[in-house]
Amino acid sequence: MATGAEVLRHMGPDRRVEQVEDITNAAAAVEELGGDDEEILRFMDSADGYLLLMDSLSAALRQGWLDLASARHSMGASRVSSVLFDHKEQSAATMLQVDYSADLQPSESKPHFALSKWCLQEESSSGGVICVQDGTKPKLRYRGSEATPGDGSRESDASAAKSSTGVDISNQVQSARSKELSVFGKLVSPKLRTTQVSFETALELIVELANSRSTMLSGFSQIKRRS
Amino acid sequence: MAGRSNIPANNSALIAIIADEDTVTGFLMAGVGNVDLRKKTNYLLVDNKTTVKQIEDAFKEFTAREDIAIVLISQYIANMIRFLVDSYNKPIPAILEIPSKDHPYDPASDSVLSRVKYLFSADSVASDRR
Repeated sequence: MATGAEVLRHMGPDRRVEQVEDITNAAAAVEELGGDDEEILRFMDSADGYLLLMDSLSAALRQGWLDLASARHSMGASRVSSVLFDHKEQSAATMLQVDYSADLQPSESKPHFALSKWCLQEESSSGGVICVQDGTKPKLRYRGSEATPGDGSRESDASAAKSSTGVDISNQVQSARSKELSVFGKLVSPKLRTTQVSFETALELIVELANSRSTMLSGFSQIKRRS
Repeated sequence: MAGRSNIPANNSALIAIIADEDTVTGFLMAGVGNVDLRKKTNYLLVDNKTTVKQIEDAFKEFTAREDIAIVLISQYIANMIRFLVDSYNKPIPAILEIPSKDHPYDPASDSVLSRVKYLFSADSVASDRR
């Protein structure tokens, strides 16, 4: 810094102003370049994450296909076939919740997906829907519930309901799983149940992949906009 | 797959599948299958009798439907309609190319990763300079 100041002292006033302007511009350019680098690094990170998830998905699907082949071997090809699919009106038991900011432009938007497994229509009078949401710990989602965060009594009611239904939830999930397998007959091979679990794992990975993809595409559009 | 009659809530979305028999069967077992009032399904089972036109139509239908958030397509099937898959650029429904039994996943043909490749290619730099 001292040498820089000495150099500036030996220069004329106009030359000094020019020099200061040059330095300021260069600093701004370096800062801008640093920001770009950060974005590119983040983008490359998300691309790397995408590829790692795709590897895990390949492994999960391979396991699923192997289990399905084993089930077909033990039950017979005619009993594990796409011909048995039910074409009556029915809704999906496993669905997605999409968190999507509509105020952004389509190119800038970054939707977030969450998996709701085994959504069960409650038989009770409330008519709510219980789903097991994807995560490290299975959680219950109450849709159509009247409980609000500020209302203490309703909250305690909701938690009591949660604990009472929590006991039954695994049974309900089991029955939902069995319903899905009922097209293949009442008594199915345990391998078919393993297949179901493998494809459930694959679905969880697919949702993670979709989130990674949206991060990657949003990073891509940011970099494109800057360049 | 059992006959339930409850209709999906408005904030929920479906996963559509265009894949081979075993992949579709597996995902239907996981509870993804949906059949609406008009008997329209959210999956297309592709075998050796399925034409490219049928795949194209299914892809167009699934990407136009508002109740679908993710379209899963086996990569070898996506290769048959590559022009359609590559030209699709909306965030929802998200298109995911997945591996199939006989065709392992190839990152080079994935439409998303081809954008990454383009971003760092010489063509991209040259077109930006122009």
